[in-house]
Amino acid sequence: MEQNVLRGKAWVFTDDVDTDLIYHNKYLAETDPKKMAQYSFEYYPGKEKFAKEAKPGDFVVAGRNFGTGSSREHAVYCLKELGIPVVLAESFARIYYRNAINNGYPVLFVKGLSDAIKEGKVKDGDELEVNIATGEIKDLTNGNTFHGDAVTDLEKDIMASGGLIEYLKAQAAKK
Amino acid sequence: MGKTMIQKIIQRASGKEVQVGDRVWCKIDLSTARDFGGPNCVLQFDEVTEKGKVWDPDKIAFTFDLQAPAHAEKVANNQKIIRDFAKRQGITKVFDVNWGIGQHVLLENGLVKPGDVILGTDSHMNLLGGVGAFATGVGNTDIVASWINGTLWFRVPETMKITVNGSFARGVCMRDFLTFLVGKLGADGMFFKAVEFYGETIEKSSLADRITLCSMVTEMSGKVGLIMPNGEVLDWLVKRAGTEVLDRVQTLKADPDAVYSEDLHFDVTGLEPMASCPDAPDNVKTVREAAGAHIDQVHIGSCSNGRFEDIAAAFEVLKAANFQISDSVRTIITPSTREVMKQCAEAGFIQKFLEAGVIFTNPTCSLCTAEHYGVLPGGDVGVSTTNRNFIGKVGKGSHTYLVSPMTAMASAVKGVLTDPRDILK
Repeated sequence: MEQNVLRGKAWVFTDDVDTDLIYHNKYLAETDPKKMAQYSFEYYPGKEKFAKEAKPGDFVVAGRNFGTGSSREHAVYCLKELGIPVVLAESFARIYYRNAINNGYPVLFVKGLSDAIKEGKVKDGDELEVNIATGEIKDLTNGNTFHGDAVTDLEKDIMASGGLIEYLKAQAAKK
Repeated sequence: MGKTMIQKIIQRASGKEVQVGDRVWCKIDLSTARDFGGPNCVLQFDEVTEKGKVWDPDKIAFTFDLQAPAHAEKVANNQKIIRDFAKRQGITKVFDVNWGIGQHVLLENGLVKPGDVILGTDSHMNLLGGVGAFATGVGNTDIVASWINGTLWFRVPETMKITVNGSFARGVCMRDFLTFLVGKLGADGMFFKAVEFYGETIEKSSLADRITLCSMVTEMSGKVGLIMPNGEVLDWLVKRAGTEVLDRVQTLKADPDAVYSEDLHFDVTGLEPMASCPDAPDNVKTVREAAGAHIDQVHIGSCSNGRFEDIAAAFEVLKAANFQISDSVRTIITPSTREVMKQCAEAGFIQKFLEAGVIFTNPTCSLCTAEHYGVLPGGDVGVSTTNRNFIGKVGKGSHTYLVSPMTAMASAVKGVLTDPRDILK
């Protein structure tokens, strides 16, 4: 079970974080996912140095509608490549949600997180402990706890395969 | 229990009786990619299939619109990746850099029918819901999956019903209603939902207005906005896409007892020109409230408001101002497609725009990206008919007001944010 418990620092974002703020349109011509990490949050005011300073294992923590805007999968690749193990948000924008699932990239839906961020109950730099199996989230800096829901239904099966392409290959092999 | 439009569309595409919340695999009628996202799709497809063949070359299309023609070597090389792939795979529906904005080009070329399930690497694909198609923006992995076996997974969404009645006052248009609606419902006001639009205002509206309406569903986090074609729009579509359109309109319209998650009613009579103020689409005020704001650039175009009717509305404002624009702002007009550009030429607009000092460009997505001419320097303020205005979207540290084509042109005339009713007297 231990491997399901992750520890890292929180990087906290607002509601409605648009894909241009996660991965700006200036870098859309990039086709190599490995090169996308360096541009993460470059255009987010106050988080310009995120790509340089975030450590593998740190968490992205956000309010409602994370990843609203463009269809660019770059906005998932960049965080995945940077080693952010999971995005915690109150909710995810539709296309971002699909792109995360399709890449086997974990997201947790955390009820009340938007208000908690606004009320300062989780702040930049807080040490978090996240159990990705149970969804239990502890802010070790201030003792606050949250609960995150993992994806369900077909999305859960796709995640378990490691992504959409892997899922399709597994399905084809079964036939 | 009756079905909504999206339920009927997904039933047709999946061959299954569906309920809200079901996850189903749908047959894809058209899977498209553009110069942005397209190269990623091609490279990923070649990698995972070891350069295999696509499921059906006739159901794949490429459009070149975000950076067209290429302005940098990297972009030029990306575009070549698409052209080479299309040739190798026998894909003939390639609308190169001379065509214009993808969704509009597909529509004009008769590739879109009500009920079609259409994918594209553009979050505003869903504007094709303006003719009753279920089109949706997706990432490259979804596109690649569809190219392998011609299907893709969807969650059957709830449907919201919005009825719009009344007539717009002079100087006010569908874009203003949309901006009002984004302000009212908020950035996630249609979260994951399909939306059906009804009412006399919708029934009388042009294709351009329906495109505006359905494109901005994305800015409220909706899945797709749907309007079943009627009247002149239906005639136009039948001419382009064939008589099958008529059957689809009958079989896929919502049942009278369909179940909706919300039933909202609006009356546009008395609505004023509206603006999405910096730095979010749902930061909405009336143009009157925000009038006089300093601006540096005006841009009219995009998949939301780049049709002939949009440019004609801007032209009317310019005409009312004796074809004089302010020297203090840079004014750029970008038609959505070559067909629209030709219409503008035939109507005599382009001559007048050029004489007034307007920059009239080739058809592209233009200022939806900072990787295009017209990018704003830090601290500059733009007025634009595009669909997003998050800080720095078209240049780090820049800000944008989103408005109608009429408000945009009125602002170009006065050199500050201006209510078009001050000019259209």
